[in-house]
Amino acid sequence: MSTDGDRSRRAVLKAAVALGGASALSACLDRTDDDPVPTGDPASKPPRQHAWREYVRHDDHGNTQLPSHQILLYLDFDVEGPPTDEDQEALAASLTALDRAYAWRHEGLLHSLAYSPAYFDRFDASLPEGIDLPEPTALSPFESPTFDRQDAVLHLASDRADVVLTADRALRGERETANGVSVPPLTEVATVASRRTGFVGAGLPAANQDAAGIPDSEPVPEASPLFMGFEAGFRGNQATEDYVTIESGPFAGGTTKVIANLRQRLDDWYDEQSEAERVMEMFSPGHAENGLVEGVGDNLGSSSGIDQFVDGIVDDAREHGRVGHAQKAARANRDTDGNVRLLRRHFESTDDIGSDQRVASLHFPSLQRRISAFEAVRRAMNGTDLTEATPAIRQRVNNGILEYIFVRRRGNFLVPPRRHRVLPTPRPE
Amino acid sequence: MKRRELLRTGAALSGALTLAGCSRLMETRAAGVPPVPEDRPDGVYLPSHVEGMEMVGTASSGDYVVGLMYSYPHRFWNVNGENVSLTEIDTDDAVHLMASVWDADTEAILPDTGLSAEIYRNGSLVSQEAIYPMLSQPMGFHYGANFGLDGEGTYAVRLSVGAVSTRRTGAFEGRFADPATVEIPFEYSEAAKEEIEFRTLDDRAGTPGAVDPMGMEGLPDSFAPPESALPGRVLGAATSDDARLVVTALDGPPTGIDAEGTYLAVSARTRYNRMVIPAMGLSGRLERDGEAVYDGEFARTLDPDLGYHYGAVVDGVESGDTLTLSTTVQPQTARHEGYETAFGGVTGGMPDVTVEAP
Repeated sequence: MSTDGDRSRRAVLKAAVALGGASALSACLDRTDDDPVPTGDPASKPPRQHAWREYVRHDDHGNTQLPSHQILLYLDFDVEGPPTDEDQEALAASLTALDRAYAWRHEGLLHSLAYSPAYFDRFDASLPEGIDLPEPTALSPFESPTFDRQDAVLHLASDRADVVLTADRALRGERETANGVSVPPLTEVATVASRRTGFVGAGLPAANQDAAGIPDSEPVPEASPLFMGFEAGFRGNQATEDYVTIESGPFAGGTTKVIANLRQRLDDWYDEQSEAERVMEMFSPGHAENGLVEGVGDNLGSSSGIDQFVDGIVDDAREHGRVGHAQKAARANRDTDGNVRLLRRHFESTDDIGSDQRVASLHFPSLQRRISAFEAVRRAMNGTDLTEATPAIRQRVNNGILEYIFVRRRGNFLVPPRRHRVLPTPRPE
Repeated sequence: MKRRELLRTGAALSGALTLAGCSRLMETRAAGVPPVPEDRPDGVYLPSHVEGMEMVGTASSGDYVVGLMYSYPHRFWNVNGENVSLTEIDTDDAVHLMASVWDADTEAILPDTGLSAEIYRNGSLVSQEAIYPMLSQPMGFHYGANFGLDGEGTYAVRLSVGAVSTRRTGAFEGRFADPATVEIPFEYSEAAKEEIEFRTLDDRAGTPGAVDPMGMEGLPDSFAPPESALPGRVLGAATSDDARLVVTALDGPPTGIDAEGTYLAVSARTRYNRMVIPAMGLSGRLERDGEAVYDGEFARTLDPDLGYHYGAVVDGVESGDTLTLSTTVQPQTARHEGYETAFGGVTGGMPDVTVEAP
């Protein structure tokens, strides 16, 4: 092996280690890409921080393919009480540098900064009437998550592992530049209270299935974008960015964001269940009965077709002794006109928050105009009414995918429009 | 290549840890478990062997007390709707962990909570699972699952109880409405485990009957109330696939049920051992002079006086009325050996039974 080869291998491994257990292997896989990364223009970014769809890849059916590599930096601002002008200038300088370093695209960097209810508590004024941003709460009768009450969360996303890694390191003060642009570190105004990493897209879950929580039989298909073996987030089952956007008031152009972290325990999912049973529990018994899902579900096109299986859910419970995750959630995920209310942007991880172990988990950001919409959908997913309809449906068993996911964290945030992304007051001008 | 090397190293490491934990155990124990008796009767029968259990500890939180016990890994039969399937002992399994949840005030066993377990060693996750409700002859209702461990040593077992969604009445109304988590330390050694009783039943195995319930210090039993202790007027009892259904009539429903009339409660218990049989779907048809005066669900209900039962409010019961009970869903609990052919089970079917009011 040549000297160059050795050096680049060391660099790759170092980068992978820096990224943490979660995406280490994915980082290794992608690092062969030596194409230059496009730089950006701070003046040309879309006014919404959550405007991603137009700037990412799509599959043949128009479904969004989220950036492959993602990092969440949970931040606590050092200042007590309302931020000072100096804090504002320092944070603005970091974010503007990021905008300059990277094009707002999947080969560049997408990012957004969102603020918690705890952040807004530092001001005397309250948020405008129309902003629905409660503290996080338990949303099932059997979970007791730790609540993420840090001030803010910065979400970084790119199809290139080296981009999210470099941006992350520059923001945390571990390097001075990103993509040739000098980046003042965030750590001048904030402490990184928690750093979480992940990945999504065909090949990456399969490459990371040595994590705890996934059986040794390596069951995750190469084609699956997620550990559970199916596609998700079909265009027809997602809210549009317009729909989740706050329409009026000082935060018009913003949205709200819930981020949960779930541990995944997929031994029984893969080893105890047949393919048909997995389809029943992920989608609906009707999907299994009618053979609607082939492989990872690419044949479903741009919609899971779940709406036709929502009304019959109690009959499904009684007849099949199982109900589907998607059919339960869909009950609450439509407005009176039939529009989908949530825009889910979840990605996989091997983070086990609080430990160094590699454990299969899921970071689950969801965007919606009001947090209460998320809460309603999450509660519908509990299927408590179905456990009353038949004892075959139990609190977590035969009840969608509840047997295999364990909520560990949840936080609620407001994603301001770009013009107010820097330490906003509750009533920005 | 690099990725494969990394994966290979990881696999080798975890494999070694797993083997260190349980290879010795499996060589001795797996060979010792007798096969399931041939020609099992269609009903409760004496199993091939009986395993004792050891109390690990108890802890309380909120309304609940949780007890954790362990034994050798078990084979058991999972029940999902009409489907009953055997779960064999896995080569990685080190123990069968059992948990019971009871009311801190009355010590009543709570059969419908939902339970999950996390197992940690030195702060590292070893396992996490939703664990299944089960029925065994010595123990009755409990939650149980086989788990692999990373060898001998001290583990922390965190048990999470879900809020109860079963209808609660009487003094149970409004209680058990929140989840709770307790942590119980578990010192695991193979030598200590090997001291747990293990005996075979030889030629009595596979014949109708049940082994005696196993009393355990600090663990409330899961018996249904004796017929003589049930509130109200006991109308009679009938047996369906070795599930004994005792019907009692109360002048009015217990508090928490918003209706007026006679309350019919069906207390389901195992033949021989009188263990509560929870989590079945039950409907009943009350007939008077050939006409139905009630035809509908008997709802799963948890009451401190009646125990776990299935109840319905009817207009009244007169002498000569007949109540025909139909199991719409067999009891949705996993079964230990000796129960898998009863209450529906692998041989299927719980025939309708009729009780006539005296």
